Amino acid sequence: MAAGEVFKTASLMKELMTRYNETGKEAKDSGIPVAWVTAVSPVEIIYAAGLFPYYPENFGAVAAARKVADKLSAFAEARGYARDLCGYARCGIGDAYATEHPVGEILSPDLLFCCNTQCGSLPKWFEVAGRFYNVPYFLLDAPRVGLETDQLCNSYYVEQLHEMIAFIEKLTGNPFDYDRLSEVLALSNEACRLWNEILETAALKPAPFGFFDASFHMAPIVTLRGTREAVDYYRALKEEIDERIEQGITAIPDERYKIYFDHIPCWPRLRWFSDLFASHGALVAVSQYTHSWAYSFDLERPLESLAENYTHEFVNRCFDYRVERKINLMEKYGVDGFVLFSNRSCKPNAIGLYAKSKLIREKTGLPGVVFEADMSDLRFFSEAQVLAKLESFFEQLK
Amino acid sequence: MNLSELTAPFEKALTEPGEQVRQWKAKQGGRAVGFLMTDVPEELIHAAGFFPYGIAGGNAEMEAADAHLQPWICSYARNCLALALGGKLDFLDGLIVPQNCDTTRMFSDLLNHIRPFPYMDIFRMPRQVGRSSAGSYLIGEMERLKYGLEQYAGKPIDHSDLRSSIALYNRNRELLRRIADIHAQNPNLISSRDLYTLINGSMIMPREEVGELLTAIREVLEGLTGSGNAGNQVRLLLSGTLLEPLEILDLIDQCGGTVIGDDFQNGFRYIESDVAIKDDLLDALAERQLNRIPSSAFDIEHRQRRYYLTEVAEDKNASGVIFLHLGFCEPENFDSYDNLQAMKRAGIPAIRIETQFGRSTLGQIRTRIQAFMEMVGGDDSGCR
Ligand code: SF4
Ligand code: SF4
Repeated sequence: MAAGEVFKTASLMKELMTRYNETGKEAKDSGIPVAWVTAVSPVEIIYAAGLFPYYPENFGAVAAARKVADKLSAFAEARGYARDLCGYARCGIGDAYATEHPVGEILSPDLLFCCNTQCGSLPKWFEVAGRFYNVPYFLLDAPRVGLETDQLCNSYYVEQLHEMIAFIEKLTGNPFDYDRLSEVLALSNEACRLWNEILETAALKPAPFGFFDASFHMAPIVTLRGTREAVDYYRALKEEIDERIEQGITAIPDERYKIYFDHIPCWPRLRWFSDLFASHGALVAVSQYTHSWAYSFDLERPLESLAENYTHEFVNRCFDYRVERKINLMEKYGVDGFVLFSNRSCKPNAIGLYAKSKLIREKTGLPGVVFEADMSDLRFFSEAQVLAKLESFFEQLK
Repeated sequence: MNLSELTAPFEKALTEPGEQVRQWKAKQGGRAVGFLMTDVPEELIHAAGFFPYGIAGGNAEMEAADAHLQPWICSYARNCLALALGGKLDFLDGLIVPQNCDTTRMFSDLLNHIRPFPYMDIFRMPRQVGRSSAGSYLIGEMERLKYGLEQYAGKPIDHSDLRSSIALYNRNRELLRRIADIHAQNPNLISSRDLYTLINGSMIMPREEVGELLTAIREVLEGLTGSGNAGNQVRLLLSGTLLEPLEILDLIDQCGGTVIGDDFQNGFRYIESDVAIKDDLLDALAERQLNRIPSSAFDIEHRQRRYYLTEVAEDKNASGVIFLHLGFCEPENFDSYDNLQAMKRAGIPAIRIETQFGRSTLGQIRTRIQAFMEMVGGDDSGCR
């Protein structure tokens, strides 16, 4: 049984992402507008309109994974941007002012589309970018949604999608193609379906695939959702996972426990974390983060359906919904404990985490731990502290 | 009554927060609904028959909040939580939290779990205000908020009640603006500290009483205009999320400066505009919200804040701008650099000074203000 083997599909992803980045640069040259977008936003509209969507958050994650977030951040800090801002934003703003570009230059936008479901940091970052690059900025505003379906929020969002489409039509001079939107939505549905099937294999005992694998393989579901490439990619990955299941190849050797992890990985230490958990026979099986891309669009009511999916995603929900969501995932994957990452970059996910942890322990009886760090910046990572927390958590699993 | 007798109740309200609410409750019964600064449409709270109480911080054991809030959360949220946990908001029956940043977006739920109030709601103001969708949405949100207040009050908010609450609030705001004008023309008549004491006191006192006192203060001041020496204070514009602590104003006064404008939530942003009295009052409330002056947490696109600030500085003939930057205030952190750059380009001297609720070091702030005043040419003799 060979555990932790590198997926063949991994090299395919490298190609895919390189091609994506090249297409972005070519778009610039051939006059296709580059639109900055945010991870949880209706990119389907952008693809349908023939614009090139670029994800500055992804740029931040790449910089973080290559351990240069602090270097890029320094350029922003030199201007007076505070260190406590979201690390992705500091990387993006830093790179705009930087004289060196350790992960290549961030692609400059022709226009900015921000959806604030995830957080309030993104709109502020995009405002800064709007001033820096002097390009138009469009905010898709999503008021926070509570436990129930929120009709007010949905209709507000639909109205804004109409405004967004009108804005794009004016910019490109072309009428918006709703047939094309249907095609894109169908492709998104298919990629999301495959992605979630893949994630679900982490519930098998032992599992062929876990959260750290998902973190590695998620770039296409974020950036290429709505394209044929994403569908092909996840089909290939799914096939490979099925083969692994047949051959008995597991994600970690000797899986004894399953763990829920909240929420983003600590990118520069991804390997360290995955080795640490593996060394305790603990498979991180599930996280609400990787499960965010579970959209299912109704092609008969495209705009309404975009609104429902994007505004009602967990990132825009209240405390109780989030706790419920975490507990549901814990139950579904049969976890033995939970680890909550208090990510100083990401206030909307970190605020209230101590209270949530207490509540989850009370409701599930599972052992759990909260640790402090930053998803991108190693200046806020104390290995000794994190290790101490996690070691005592592993003790409780026994 | 002379001026200091008239301003005394405002000072007292600020040094004994909640006392006025307790007295009001004892006298007439009723419940109090607090709100975080300050976009919440208070008129609705008032019209529902509740005592509206604006929480602009106060003395609290900040450590009490540290178990729940990470060290990188702003001191305003930490202070509010510490107040609640320390029992210093026990006179409140309810709380409305406006959703203006990620902290406030999460704060109400957190509080609801660790120190709930019987009535809690959020106010989800739109973050884009330039498009028509913002208006229709906001009216819906006002309706939702109104409905919740009615449920808690156990009776509907009548049109006529809302109308009189709005009229009362308009009157108070107008009086405060008039007093601010008199101050800007002649700071010797009423100091910066006193002006902001009136504004902040007016958020936590019975609004009817505020109206009576402000009317009397205005009369006294109007009687004094034209008399005395208008002084040659250096005119300063302040900018930031929240003005805290008010002692900073004394430092500015002592250094020969005076504050002629600001964009604080507990400053001009609170008093700058009124609600139109018309048939559809929710629409009128929404209109006011959409046209509020920009802050880092609201409407930065439609009315760009840095241009707004340069305009105000120029209109009001300010010699400089002091950015009082609340540490760990994320929206402010994002705007700060561009604001400073805009001032530079406009040739307006500007400085950024960091503040913290409950943890600002006045000595250091004094030194910074002093240096800035020397630069913009003030008489800093009082600072030494
Ligand atoms: S990490 Fe959090 S704060 Fe940063 S962009 Fe993502 S959701 Fe927003
Ligand atoms: S706007 Fe700033 S000061 Fe106000 S709650 Fe948010 S972070 Fe804190």
